[in-house]
Amino acid sequence: MPAALKYAYFPGCVAQGACRELYLSTHELTQALGIELVELKKAACCGSGTFKEDSQLLEDSVNARNIALAEQLNLPLLTHCSTCQGVIGHVDDRLKASQTSNPDYVQQINGLLTQQGCSPYQGSTEVKHLLWALVGDYGLEALEKRVKKQLSGLKCAAFYGCYLLRAQASLPFDDPFQPESMENVFRTVGATPVYFQGRTQCCGWPLASYATEASFKMAGGRIQEAIAAGADCLVTPCPLCHLNLDSRQPEVEQAIGQKLGLPVLHLPQLVALALGVEPEKLGLGKHIVSTRPVLEKLGLA
Amino acid sequence: MKVRFSILRQTANSPPWLQDYRLEIDPGATILDGLNRIKWEQDGTLGYRKNCRNTICGSCSIKINGRSALACKETVGQELARLAAIAASAPTAEIPAIAIAPMGNMPVIKDLVVDMQGFWQNLQAVDPYVSTAARSIPEREFLQSPSDRAKLDQTGNCILCGACYSECNAREVNPEFVGPHALAKAYRTLADSRDQASQTRLEKYNQPDSGVWACTRCFNCNAVCPMDVAPLDQISNIKAAILDQQTVPDSRSVRHRQAMVELVKQGGWIDERKFGLRVVGNNFRDLSGLLSLLPLGWRMLSRGKLPLEFEASTGTAQVRSLITAVQALESAKGSPETSTTTPMPQESESEPISKTAPSGPESFGWTAYAELLNGRFAMIGLVALLLLELFTNQDFFTWLGLR
Repeated sequence: MPAALKYAYFPGCVAQGACRELYLSTHELTQALGIELVELKKAACCGSGTFKEDSQLLEDSVNARNIALAEQLNLPLLTHCSTCQGVIGHVDDRLKASQTSNPDYVQQINGLLTQQGCSPYQGSTEVKHLLWALVGDYGLEALEKRVKKQLSGLKCAAFYGCYLLRAQASLPFDDPFQPESMENVFRTVGATPVYFQGRTQCCGWPLASYATEASFKMAGGRIQEAIAAGADCLVTPCPLCHLNLDSRQPEVEQAIGQKLGLPVLHLPQLVALALGVEPEKLGLGKHIVSTRPVLEKLGLA
Repeated sequence: MKVRFSILRQTANSPPWLQDYRLEIDPGATILDGLNRIKWEQDGTLGYRKNCRNTICGSCSIKINGRSALACKETVGQELARLAAIAASAPTAEIPAIAIAPMGNMPVIKDLVVDMQGFWQNLQAVDPYVSTAARSIPEREFLQSPSDRAKLDQTGNCILCGACYSECNAREVNPEFVGPHALAKAYRTLADSRDQASQTRLEKYNQPDSGVWACTRCFNCNAVCPMDVAPLDQISNIKAAILDQQTVPDSRSVRHRQAMVELVKQGGWIDERKFGLRVVGNNFRDLSGLLSLLPLGWRMLSRGKLPLEFEASTGTAQVRSLITAVQALESAKGSPETSTTTPMPQESESEPISKTAPSGPESFGWTAYAELLNGRFAMIGLVALLLLELFTNQDFFTWLGLR
């Protein structure tokens, strides 16, 4: 049993908006595991990688403020979105490196922060995705002991999200080109991992609002590949991937001229199911592609 | 040590096959050394490109164990260690052979040799030469200060090996996209203090299908580049230069970036409803964009996914003043990369938005009050369109009799 875990929780925009079910299921999962979350109510959008296209200083300042909010609590900052993780984690890496290589820059940011009444950035905490918290802090062995409902027979295809794998210089547990963390979680809860090449590639979401055809073709290719590999569902640690793969799946089907109908689960939904949390509490009815086939396969429908 | 190379071989237009070669090789040997040994000692028909053997010429890019890399840079020992680490993290995986395959996004000519014509044409498309057309020839050389020269160091390191292009996710679905190598080079010319074509370059690189907005930010280019050119960072730099122009041509991608910052200033978090209406619907000015949102809106509503309310961050006021301060600083600094353009003092963004109703009759533009009204009208409009479609079973244009 790991010592009581506690995190400063950064919910992000999408989990508070169009993927409310992610917010719900992270809550349920952490409750079931006895992990305490202190929600950062004062935090702000990380910019999903677009702030630095305006200005690097903008991306660094807004996220230095987000990180400083966690530092004030003396807690690691927990994300449950690959994109938030990649952006905030990368800023944390950069600023930590700048503390020795370019202290003037950190000072400039801290000047801006304190002028506006925010706490300065100290570089004293870590930015951690829920996936890494499960694999690293909680531990898969401890998780295995809490499994009440083996997800036997469910073939899960991971969809990692680019920012989780490649936005930061190094990964705590994975090779960025052949990661295994998600698959190890699947094995731990009794499900069967399904491998396909697209699991480490882009879902197309960044292009969805202005290059829709390219975006949907990209998503379509990934889903087709997962189906061909025998997947019952995709499982993603990124709500933005979820938006393009689930919410836009009807348009994706139109773009590639093929019916798909592959359910897409959020990572905490899958794990919480194995911990015996009722499906209704996990917002599994709030998906565009019905998750019923998954629940039927597990005998939960 | 004994090693197995598993090489994906192909002759043009016929299906590929995997061929295994075993050899006794030093762990310090490069993958290219291994390929040479195979060709010289076992199978002279194996095709691959090579030249300098020293990560300078960029000829020998291939896929090694699942990602594009230079065969002359990666060693047998490093690759086996990597495979062992992966195998250790996944209890069921066995240590496989070193897997070798040709680069992606380019057709195979033979074995590991790919046709790079498109790669070179796309490079040509960005005018990758410093333009001195508008300048009279001086008596001496074109001078450049050391600090201006230093701006070209990172992009200047590109050896045009094709690794980024091979892994580019946007290239997979968009044949118009010039690719990360070309845009990294594009930024190299844009950032060059001697170049005098910034304006035409920015117009060219702003093209929706071929230019920077076609990048999907998958980070593969940054992850595989053997020379740390970080093409994605250079694409971001070009976007910053585009957004920094005095007048930015309106487009969805540009509105996307502007709306992100505006909405974070308003609510800390992004209100996704407003975001869609602004970026895709252009605040009701783009009707077809707006209509394209209807099926999505309806679908989300029927599944209880459409957020009906928005809760602003309790730190919104702080974030707003922080962003405003950064923006003021950035506009004061100017844009060193594009000396022909000066940043526009964006009235919409440099002026802090007050949370209350207009403070006086002089309050114009993006005030909180106007934004609130705008948001209300946007939601009323969306709901009206949804109801119209629901009750008449017709889309808006058909209902108007325009179709």
